[in-house]
Amino acid sequence: MQLEKFTYDNRLTKMFLFATVLWGVVGMLVGLTAAFELIFPNMSGGISWLSFGRLRPLHTNAAIFAFVGNGIFLAVYYSTPRLLKTPMFSKALGNIHFWGWQLIILLAAITFPLGLTQSKEYAELIWPIDVLVVIIWVVFGLNLIMTLVKRRTKHIYVAIWFYIATWVTIAVLYIVNNLQIPTSFLHSYPIYAGVQDALVQWWYGHNAVAFFLTTPILGIMYYFIPKASNRPIYSYKLSIIHFWSLIFLYIWAGPHHLLYSALPDWVQALGVVFSIMLIAPSWGGMINGLLTLRGAWDKVREDPVLKMFVVGVTAYGMATFEGPMLALKTVNALSHFTDWTIAHVHIGTLGWNAMLNFGMIYWLVPRLFKTKLWSVKLANTHFWIATLGMLFFSIPLYFAGFTQALMWKQFTEEGYLAYPNFLETVTQILPMYYLRAFGGSLYFIGAILFVVNVWKTAKSGSFVRYEEDQAPAKPAPKAGEGWHRKLEGRPLQFTVVALVVILIGGLIEIVPMYLVKSNVPTISSVQPYTPLELEGRDIYVREGCYLCHSQMIRPFRDEVERYGDYTKAGETVYDHPSQYGSKRTGPDLAREGVKTLPNYKPDSWHYNHMIDPQKLNAESIMPPYPWLANRDLDVSTLESKISVLEGLGVPYDDYLKGQDPTEHLNIQAAKIAEGLRAGGIQVDDNKEIIAIIAYLQRLGNDIYNE
Amino acid sequence: MAKENINQHHNEDYEYDTLTNDKLIKDHDYDGIRELDNDLPPWWKWLFYITIIFSIVYCIRLFVFHSDDLVQDREYEKAMVEAEMNKPVQSEAIEFKLVLLEDETSIASGKETWDKICAVCHLVDGGGLVGPNMTDNYWIHGNTVEDMFNIITTGVIEKGMIPYKDQLSEQKRLEVISFILVKLQGTSPATPKAPEGTEY
Repeated sequence: MQLEKFTYDNRLTKMFLFATVLWGVVGMLVGLTAAFELIFPNMSGGISWLSFGRLRPLHTNAAIFAFVGNGIFLAVYYSTPRLLKTPMFSKALGNIHFWGWQLIILLAAITFPLGLTQSKEYAELIWPIDVLVVIIWVVFGLNLIMTLVKRRTKHIYVAIWFYIATWVTIAVLYIVNNLQIPTSFLHSYPIYAGVQDALVQWWYGHNAVAFFLTTPILGIMYYFIPKASNRPIYSYKLSIIHFWSLIFLYIWAGPHHLLYSALPDWVQALGVVFSIMLIAPSWGGMINGLLTLRGAWDKVREDPVLKMFVVGVTAYGMATFEGPMLALKTVNALSHFTDWTIAHVHIGTLGWNAMLNFGMIYWLVPRLFKTKLWSVKLANTHFWIATLGMLFFSIPLYFAGFTQALMWKQFTEEGYLAYPNFLETVTQILPMYYLRAFGGSLYFIGAILFVVNVWKTAKSGSFVRYEEDQAPAKPAPKAGEGWHRKLEGRPLQFTVVALVVILIGGLIEIVPMYLVKSNVPTISSVQPYTPLELEGRDIYVREGCYLCHSQMIRPFRDEVERYGDYTKAGETVYDHPSQYGSKRTGPDLAREGVKTLPNYKPDSWHYNHMIDPQKLNAESIMPPYPWLANRDLDVSTLESKISVLEGLGVPYDDYLKGQDPTEHLNIQAAKIAEGLRAGGIQVDDNKEIIAIIAYLQRLGNDIYNE
Repeated sequence: MAKENINQHHNEDYEYDTLTNDKLIKDHDYDGIRELDNDLPPWWKWLFYITIIFSIVYCIRLFVFHSDDLVQDREYEKAMVEAEMNKPVQSEAIEFKLVLLEDETSIASGKETWDKICAVCHLVDGGGLVGPNMTDNYWIHGNTVEDMFNIITTGVIEKGMIPYKDQLSEQKRLEVISFILVKLQGTSPATPKAPEGTEY
């Protein structure tokens, strides 16, 4: 057989590797800062761009798209050419991909602290950066697909199946969830509102976990575990079954983020059952990873790379069992909005994602630099510190979540809430926040050891830019192959089939929410926000209030008692974007403005509380927002905002009846400011804080005006 | 195929993994990675079947039988009816009387409520911030136990004082009033708010 010679270029692999290490440390450091801010609320010192609400999106995006993302590209650029016996299709596309992605990360790191956000979790980037992401993602896909076309092997390996599924699905998710109309260069409104926006958002959010934090990592597992252990994959059949069932079922599971919300029962039910059916497909991946190591367990005991893979894959198994359990309504009634969810995702990220990244890099660096790992002992230490750090992070948060949920739900014998003051339940779990910060610190120290080891290893060797390899030209198709084997020989068809498979669930869940009116029953008394409230809402979004305060009262006795009537779908039809939220570090605000409810506070309370929360609640962990009282409200884009919303179906023409929005805003602002001044507070009409108070006082009122 | 028979049934499509004796699939070699021809583990298959059966049953219960525990509105109504039924009947023997309490337990309990709830607007030392100063001798809505009980019960919405009838039992409301009158009155808070209302 004639062998063809060709060369792999390791340059992009090396660049993605260093980017992974760098952004990993940055992402973790921002997360650690946020963890400390929750114990020391005044840590940000009144500096807007250091506040929790602005750092949290930076942490999640850096961890997901910068640390894990670069790790994925590192794996793809290293393994794909070797699995397909051809260099990557284009160095130019590769360079655009690399530098484009780093530019996106840099822009994220600048825009998030400035408060430029869409407020959709893990899709917070503003629209110009979204456009850039799509372009770079297409460049990546083009490079990947053209490499597939140019391959020398007849069939494509399971790792590549997972890369393909990742690429097509993320493209679909990202574009659909980010459909938005710009109001200016830095701001936009999503085309969806309220419960529909929440559904699209969590269809995306859940599947960012599925197709950015799971499928590509399974690809990493399928390449690097057999490579590092020199063992064959346990079962090819299992690969096929768990691959297709995983990508088909995952896409349906998003609604489990909205259980007991205003989402119709039928969509919630699909979220529940598809989550439960995901247990086996997920565990199929875990089994195939762990059982591949049969016969190599003696190596696992010594090799830090394999140890990290084993803990990583085990964490994957734990998280993918826990996830479906959290999707059961009875469990979710307790876990949702609490730190339980935070613990759950960190088993996935600190355990599964990061451990696989660490293991892969510890294996790769000596090979890329033709040397030995600088210190195996240090890598082992990193392994133990990271494992302990993960446990110290998550176990206290499980305890915190459980404790707080039970406190929220507890009634006294006379039928009153046992803890009517939300803050009591926060104070109770604060020691767990200390432990979490300790666990996070341990994990971070481990990451520093990792950086040292990678750096020293790289310095001790010399970079191998080009590697020679040889293989026969692509063989002709063989007769008598099974249908799946045939498909493995046709990557373009494979991509199309994968696309069809992942579209089904999303279409069935999302389209009826638009076409069937009964899914979002109209409430006639619900009106658009006034111009001032709208500006206030945009400030609420900018400051990331939704990260600690939900606006979604669930139909439970305790929540209705604490917050007022549960949230209806028809109430949020003008909410672009939805502010349901996913976590209650502070109380729910869905009915904050309703005067007859227990949570109501007068304007002056809000004013004082924004500037110095601890003055009103000594034990509060809310950070201060003094800049809201100093900054002038920017109304330069108000008209554009109103006209975009009018275009999206918010009836502003009817509502304002020809009145100039700015004039309307000024009148309302003057009234609120006057009230504050009467109470002895020195404030001008045109400050941002007036707008956010107006918004808060509007919340939840409309259905009481029927 | 039982393990002991493996060597007698050598088939040219297969080679064998030396460490586990499992079949390797012959032409599956990707950058040196081989694949074994193992079947799906039976327990895994059963796990999958069981979750599918669970899902079908779940959907039938919701879509066909509209089971109470799956239809959200009904689940809520049921919980509310249950709570209403379990409400303790006001015992007639211990009749609630609106008189100042001066025993230490009641005052301590009143302070607990004050710190948790009232202090948010009136501050822990009673000096007032959003709400009026509770240490001075000036009252906006009267200073009798009855006056204060009415205010706490029904609130003064336009001023931001919400009604507490659904959050605090009558006893708790009385305890906190007693705490204000017995302990807070006449003290000197750190940052007293200017007097409001009329002097009594």
